[in-house]
Amino acid sequence: MKSDNLNNDKENKMPQEETPNGRNYWRSLDELTGAPEFKQWLDREFPEGASEINGVDRRQFMKIMAASFALAGVGLAGCRQQTVNVLPYSKQPERIVPGVPIYYTSSMPSAKDNIPLLVETHDARPTKIEGNPSYLAYNGATDTFSQASILNLYDPDRAQRSMDNDKGKALSKAEVLDLFTYINHQFSETQGEGLAVLAEPSSSPTRARLVNEFKKKFPKAVWAEYDPTVDNSAEKVLGRFFQYSDPLADKMPDDFIRPQYHFENAKRILAIDSDFLHSEPGQLGNSRAFANARRVHTTKDASKMNRLYAVESNFTLTGGMADHRLRLPASHATAFTHLVAAEIFELAGWDSAVVDALRQKGSGLTVDHKWIKECARDLYDYRKQSLIIAGDDMPEDIHFLVMLMNNLLSAEGETVSYSKLPSDQAISIKELADLIKKGTIGTLVVLGGNPVYNAPADLNWPKLQKSINRVTHLSYYFNETSKLANEHIAANHYLESWGDGRAYDGTYVPVQPMILPLFDGFTELELLAKVLGLKDAEPYGLVRETFESMNPNISIEEWLGLGVLKNSEFPYVSFKISRSQVENFVERAETISVPQLSEDNLEVRLVLSNQVLDGRYNNNGWLQELPDPLTKLTWDNAISISPRLAKELTQKTGLPIVPKASLMNELGQLEHDANSFLRGKEQAFVAELTVNGKTVKGPLHVQPGLADYTLVIPVGYGRTVTGNVGSGTGFDAYPLSIGSINTPLVGARLKISDEIYELANTQEHWSMEGRAILRESTADDYAHNPDFVNKMGVESHSPAIYGTAKNDSLQKKVTEIPRGGSLYKTPDFTGAQQWGMSIDLNTCTGCNACVVACQSENNIPIIGKDQVLRGREMHWIRMDRYFSSNDNNTMEIPEDPQVSFMSMLCQHCELAPCETVCPVNATVHDESGLNVMAYNRCVGTRYCANNCPYKVRRFNFFDWNKREIDHFYEGPMGPSGMPELHKMQKNPNVTVRMRGVMEKCTFCVQRIEAAKINQRVKAKDSPDVMVPDGAIKTACQQVCPTESIVFGDVADANTRVSKLKGLDMNYSVLGYLNTRPRTTYLAKLRNPNPLMPDYYPLPNTRSEYEKRYGHGVPHEAEVSHN
Amino acid sequence: MANIFPKWSNSVPRKVIIALILLFVALVAGINYYLTPKYANVGYEPTQPVDFEHSLHVGQLGMDCRYCHTYVDRSEHSNIPATQTCMNCHNQIKTDSDRLAPIRASYESGKAVQWVKVHHAPEYVYFNHAVHVNRGVSCVECHGKVNEMKVVYQDKSLSMTFCLDCHRNPENFVRPLNEVYNLDWKAESPEKQKQQGLAYVHDWKITPPVSCSGCHR
Repeated sequence: MKSDNLNNDKENKMPQEETPNGRNYWRSLDELTGAPEFKQWLDREFPEGASEINGVDRRQFMKIMAASFALAGVGLAGCRQQTVNVLPYSKQPERIVPGVPIYYTSSMPSAKDNIPLLVETHDARPTKIEGNPSYLAYNGATDTFSQASILNLYDPDRAQRSMDNDKGKALSKAEVLDLFTYINHQFSETQGEGLAVLAEPSSSPTRARLVNEFKKKFPKAVWAEYDPTVDNSAEKVLGRFFQYSDPLADKMPDDFIRPQYHFENAKRILAIDSDFLHSEPGQLGNSRAFANARRVHTTKDASKMNRLYAVESNFTLTGGMADHRLRLPASHATAFTHLVAAEIFELAGWDSAVVDALRQKGSGLTVDHKWIKECARDLYDYRKQSLIIAGDDMPEDIHFLVMLMNNLLSAEGETVSYSKLPSDQAISIKELADLIKKGTIGTLVVLGGNPVYNAPADLNWPKLQKSINRVTHLSYYFNETSKLANEHIAANHYLESWGDGRAYDGTYVPVQPMILPLFDGFTELELLAKVLGLKDAEPYGLVRETFESMNPNISIEEWLGLGVLKNSEFPYVSFKISRSQVENFVERAETISVPQLSEDNLEVRLVLSNQVLDGRYNNNGWLQELPDPLTKLTWDNAISISPRLAKELTQKTGLPIVPKASLMNELGQLEHDANSFLRGKEQAFVAELTVNGKTVKGPLHVQPGLADYTLVIPVGYGRTVTGNVGSGTGFDAYPLSIGSINTPLVGARLKISDEIYELANTQEHWSMEGRAILRESTADDYAHNPDFVNKMGVESHSPAIYGTAKNDSLQKKVTEIPRGGSLYKTPDFTGAQQWGMSIDLNTCTGCNACVVACQSENNIPIIGKDQVLRGREMHWIRMDRYFSSNDNNTMEIPEDPQVSFMSMLCQHCELAPCETVCPVNATVHDESGLNVMAYNRCVGTRYCANNCPYKVRRFNFFDWNKREIDHFYEGPMGPSGMPELHKMQKNPNVTVRMRGVMEKCTFCVQRIEAAKINQRVKAKDSPDVMVPDGAIKTACQQVCPTESIVFGDVADANTRVSKLKGLDMNYSVLGYLNTRPRTTYLAKLRNPNPLMPDYYPLPNTRSEYEKRYGHGVPHEAEVSHN
Repeated sequence: MANIFPKWSNSVPRKVIIALILLFVALVAGINYYLTPKYANVGYEPTQPVDFEHSLHVGQLGMDCRYCHTYVDRSEHSNIPATQTCMNCHNQIKTDSDRLAPIRASYESGKAVQWVKVHHAPEYVYFNHAVHVNRGVSCVECHGKVNEMKVVYQDKSLSMTFCLDCHRNPENFVRPLNEVYNLDWKAESPEKQKQQGLAYVHDWKITPPVSCSGCHR
């Protein structure tokens, strides 16, 4: 009886399709009974039955043996136990221990600041990016882009092969190398005439070296650099100044001078349109140092707190941290800086000629002069400890003035130092465009970037590029530029390439590969070397040469092991300012023209998106789904308008751009959202924006905090040639750009239609409505009332939570859970170590790096815009942002609000409301205090999410991992299966959740368990099993540049987290619910200047609270100071 | 009105209900007995591509477990040895044996030998070998007397109950560290095991996790 259904092949899960070898597989019962092993097996298992087999009739045989066959795994092997294979190596590679990750150092390539990284690899593939703690300035922190860059590595939409667009066929690696060798031959004779290279600026010394050789070998060739995210005006202007100021100093022509900030020494800071905490290069070091100067742990620290003044047109995170914020249109910034300079010069004792000339230049500006005066006075009073900083993209005049002012404040050497670095020796894209128009360029090699998409629109780059004879584009994705090029060369990801770079202060860091290129891609260095005809074109060799040339006193292996080269920072130089230079500058004492903005004469600012930057991360799902810190929009960009403009437009058009107030509760209290929402979906009106003859169409978003007539539009969306993730997201704002995207455009008009576009906004309401969720105070108030935090909130007046146990030590409270009064008996907290977390709201800047880090570490899926509209985003930690107005009227959208950020994650409540309601006991408490989730037990009742007062539980409504975005409702008919590449990114230590399962923050339980296991393996037969403080860092803690999140053992009084929880300002969110959360917060403090016109004795959220639920507000605060 | 139903149909509902109840009980009992790991998994003895005999290599020749399963004390996986490990000896011993042909083929071609996994815990269970063998739990507690097996079979159920039996009472299963890889070692008596075990649990601070986060992440 040859029955095929007994054939093992179909039942066993074999990874290869080839014919199996001999003895393992039998195709029929005949074969089976004949096989000697079977006889043996039979003998062993069924001694009685064995003799009956020979010559017996099949039917009888089957009758006797059927049941045992089936269950013994013979025949129906798949029924009893699924056959799974274990595939060991044939030859074991060195160093790889399956299950134990290996960490490699590397750095994130960039133009000015390569962030040093430590990449965790499992089985030779990178899974998580961390910062390199050897670089002390950043202390192991990274930003959202570095965290998300690992998803780019595993993007199925990346260029997998090089293409010849003219012939429409793929190019092999050999053909590409031939192409570049051909370029070398072609242009060697003519010394490069007709050859142009357009590259992205890079901090890599190896590339700089190759560019030098390029210029030597092809003197007539053109080297241009362009990147919309990079602006060198500060470095250029300071460099030029340095040339003139010190003719004897050791320098090269065109050196750049870069300011290095020492925020830890700065007590008073003025930021002129500078988002130094978030989007400026070097922001990680800035954030860390700034937080160090801002941190307040005791009342003694309160007077040492720093003070930040911010002047800006857009609402940035730096403006959010500011104690005093002035909204100023970007086109007014130059005049403003002149007025500030006038004050500083006057305070410094300069004669009235200079001071008046400066005032004259800024006289066209309508601004509160008292604001400027008091700010300048404060800065000057704290000279040597104060600092003025202007954004990278500010005009050169501002940078020059800022440098002068810092000099007068004696800041040099204290809060700012100037380092000298080699200039980029490149021409700009505009100069290249002029050359192309002249017709002198025959071959253009574009290395990286996407100029067809993001070059300033006035250059009309697509037309120019098409006019060149031959264009070759090296890039990671096949994008708009590649489409118009003759050849597209696939690039390697930086995690697959050799390279190097410099951090912001010049420290030399490597870019090291940790996986062989997944596809046939190339590194920029290797192609440049081929163009140069270098014999040794291997990037590793080139980097090694550069490394040796730095005269290091360590070997290259040590450098790669540590990840940084110590003492390789750029050298400092100092400036000497002469009177004549200042007089030359102010000589031309005309008034700077300051455009009068109004509803008909709007200013437009194109800004880099906080998510996709200039468009390069357009196809990165994590970043697309990451809510913008201030607008909270995902998957789209919008035209942000100020509330005042929105009000005027509402009156003019009659459309509810400013939404009507809606009913908040049964008491008849109303709430007022900033934007219209329908069932959680933001209803944005589509408008046409016309400026300088160019028009774009996009949805309007009302954003509190913008300068009144400034529109802010993030670029990077509306791409036409991008992958599956980025297609159809947002609209393209680049057509508006002139010169560079940083130039503010004046003279815009809006035409509003009644068409509605739905925006996926993750936070509907902007206000806390006076509740004590995020508790704030001023440094002054804290110094006088250290326990203000306990006097706020319902628990300050409700029946006692802890009762007489209030004064017990933290260690006693977390293990004994006194006065619990819960019907649900929690498991005894018998674990030797109890886990808890403290989040310092004072130092948190709201950068959202924790959100992406958690997503990367815990295999959190993305869900697409349609599902985010329904509020199903899966982030385990979210950043809530609350606006608060100074007139405490939550019925008006605030025009000049304060903003506060709070990261909210599972609080791991000791008396968790979610645990009591699970019908299947899928969420329980473990002995160490963690609220644990057993995914395999969950049936998806969602009662736990319902009961969670913090709403931190996320439900997998669909199989986000296996099913495709926008095809979820097709159910089993829809496409299924995760691309292999996506699987490679997943962290093997964390379960990938299926549909119908609830998930939430686990305090990175995989890291906790790994640390406990490591400690016990080390301990062996000793009792040394306690994990030392600091060994466990949750993903969010590790990535935070300001160390706002601290995790550790609360049962030990000496750990950092226990000490933080013992501080005055420690409180639990919604503590009155008696949930006893293990995650507590340290209140936020602000440090306003009493002499400033917009002084506030209490922060807005606090006065909102005091007015509504508290003891009323002191009279001074009630008077509006606008 | 004439009788529609015959007399015997009076007892039918009662019989049907009783039958259903009995059926349900049988179903539950059957599932609880036959479909739990204790019955379904214990004794699972799949045919391997190479008939490697532990009884020969470990029992007779005396090889230590860790010669092949090298990472058991460092990693969560106790790895099946690479073909290279087999060839360490078998490039000199029995170099032409038919039974070793798949090994030689794998070594030459670089393709893995398709071993069939015997002890397969579900994917939502995260088990770590290193912490167990380094803290006094021997291979034999979970894998049985592998040194006496000609073909490896699953000796224990490896169900959650099985794991918890030890995690709740580790003193019944821990042994001195130098005897972990000695599969024949046994305490003199169950009482001695318990007594010594309690001493180890106390001295080494053995606190196995008993809540969900220990194994389910």
